[in-house]
Amino acid sequence: MTGSALQIRGLRKAFPKVVAVDGVDLDVARGEVFGLLGPNGAGKTTTLEIIEGLTTADAGDIEILGLTWAERGQEIRARIGVQLQSTSLFNKITPREALDLYGSYYPKRRSTSELLDLVQLQEKADAYHITLSGGQQQRLALALALVNDPELVFLDEPTTGLDPQARRSLWDVVRRMKAEGRTVMLTTHYMDEAEALCDRLAIMDHGKVIATGTPASLISDLAIPSVVELTFEGDAPEPAAFAARLEQAVERRADLWEIPTPDPKALLPRLLEAAESAAVPFQQVHIRRATLEDVFLHRTGRSLRE
Amino acid sequence: MMLWRQFAMEWRLYRRDRVAMFWTFAFPVVLLLGFGTIFRDGGGPKLSVVRVQAPAPGPQDTALDQALVDVQLKVQALPKTEAEARWSRGETAAQLETDGAGYRLRLNSYLMAQAGATAGLVNQAWLMAQARLNGSPEPQRIPVSVESPGHKHSANYAAFLLPGLLGLNLVSMGLFSVGMVNVSYREKGKFRRLAVTPLPKWIFLLGQVLHRLTVTVVQAAILLLVGRLVFGIENQGSFVDLFLIMTLGTGCFMAFGFALSGFAETSEGYAAISNLVFFPLMLLSGVYFTLDSAPAWLQHAVAMAPLAPFLRALRAVFNDGGSLAGHGAGLAIVAAWGLAAFALAVRRFRWA
Repeated sequence: MTGSALQIRGLRKAFPKVVAVDGVDLDVARGEVFGLLGPNGAGKTTTLEIIEGLTTADAGDIEILGLTWAERGQEIRARIGVQLQSTSLFNKITPREALDLYGSYYPKRRSTSELLDLVQLQEKADAYHITLSGGQQQRLALALALVNDPELVFLDEPTTGLDPQARRSLWDVVRRMKAEGRTVMLTTHYMDEAEALCDRLAIMDHGKVIATGTPASLISDLAIPSVVELTFEGDAPEPAAFAARLEQAVERRADLWEIPTPDPKALLPRLLEAAESAAVPFQQVHIRRATLEDVFLHRTGRSLRE
Repeated sequence: MMLWRQFAMEWRLYRRDRVAMFWTFAFPVVLLLGFGTIFRDGGGPKLSVVRVQAPAPGPQDTALDQALVDVQLKVQALPKTEAEARWSRGETAAQLETDGAGYRLRLNSYLMAQAGATAGLVNQAWLMAQARLNGSPEPQRIPVSVESPGHKHSANYAAFLLPGLLGLNLVSMGLFSVGMVNVSYREKGKFRRLAVTPLPKWIFLLGQVLHRLTVTVVQAAILLLVGRLVFGIENQGSFVDLFLIMTLGTGCFMAFGFALSGFAETSEGYAAISNLVFFPLMLLSGVYFTLDSAPAWLQHAVAMAPLAPFLRALRAVFNDGGSLAGHGAGLAIVAAWGLAAFALAVRRFRWA
């Protein structure tokens, strides 16, 4: 299938104290994994909830699979799958029962055992929900989002609060969704997750989309493929003087200095020279590839985690 | 079909919470067995008087004691110390003691209804005893009997209590089960998870309501069965009337639950709000005791609250075999409260 899975124009939503979504335009193509990346409070969840029909927007147009909420709400519900930020179920329902029950709400459904296989919960199929680990509960929530064989799946921070291993196993499920031809839209504030999973991304901050593109293009658009990170032994020198000596801008982030550069090979000798003449011993010099974190930092002046 | 599945799932999950389920069904039965047994004799058909035994009973004492029995009083003869102890515990309604050459009757101000009636009988007995001692003709006396208005169940506090417990079940089902469940579903986002599915929300709510209704029916059936087997209490009225009253009450108190749930953000908040409504309703509406001796303004206020007229109609049918006809005004009050609560519920109800 080709064409647009989701088209959003001029979306706006204000709460009494904050404008949560401030003029968002988005296009998601069929079959892609699309990520909304941004810090907490950027408006990702509100955007998603408006698309899912849980919240009404103050303004803007949304077309989901060519349908609108006003005209074909029930059909949209039948064709999308949703995982909310926290999925609350009865304490004493089992995964098998939950999948049977939620499946019964839909005209079209996948078999419970197939879904249990997909999220690797066969062994826990008849255990009470309350006895499942956080990762298992999250995988069950994913399976519930897939119970109606949806064309478009929304995942709101699917891995928040999970340990690294549980995150990886959730990523596998998301990749499987894509392989099955579904369109996936997810929110995350983990840049590694966005890089690992998403075909395309929109970076959000303060209710606005500040950049859109593939992870690779967003990073290469920065024109600083590398970042040199410095930490010092003892007191750090005065950054302005050091930058002048280096003839290169320096960004100071607590104890860590970052020097974005298109050419680390040329920078390193000058850096060592500057350090020697200023008599400041490095603790660590580290060259890394630029990441989405740097993209966010350069667009907003703030870190994703702040 | 969807509704049935929802209803069946509610029951299946409910059955898993065995502790909660056990107490839901057992608590009213425990109350009935406990209070019904404790007060089995206390509120009995005979008025009773404590007779402080005279140290050396004379012919006058003997004649009076005989007369007390003849006027159908239940006499408990106790030595002075025991009688005093009982009096100070507040258990005695009326105590007859020797005072010099004559007698003195002490009445308990907290139990004036029984004490006053007892006093009348004691005086009858005294006239009777004097006549017998003097050899003059015995005075004519008007026989006194203690009965419930419908001439049924007069012996049984349990019979008074049982309809109260039926009503209490309805109130707690509405306020605690329905209201609390709504608040916690909203708080935990269960409603939101359902809202993104095509399941119509009214089916979900109706499934819940039907589940609660059947729980109430089972509770009522258990109570009626225990009442019948243990205390020999039977419904004196028509089961149709009983059903109609119970249905009205269920609707009214469920609407209360829905309405109150619109005012609380969290389960904890709801617990506070619902208790604020529940305890006055329960304590002042004659579930456990009558309010005959309360001040008039309080009685009027209570009569306008929904539980008291509901219980009055329920008792009239259940205990006295009366018809609903005489309780139109009371049931109208219940219905009005139900409608008001429903209107409020519709205004305040939120899914998220």
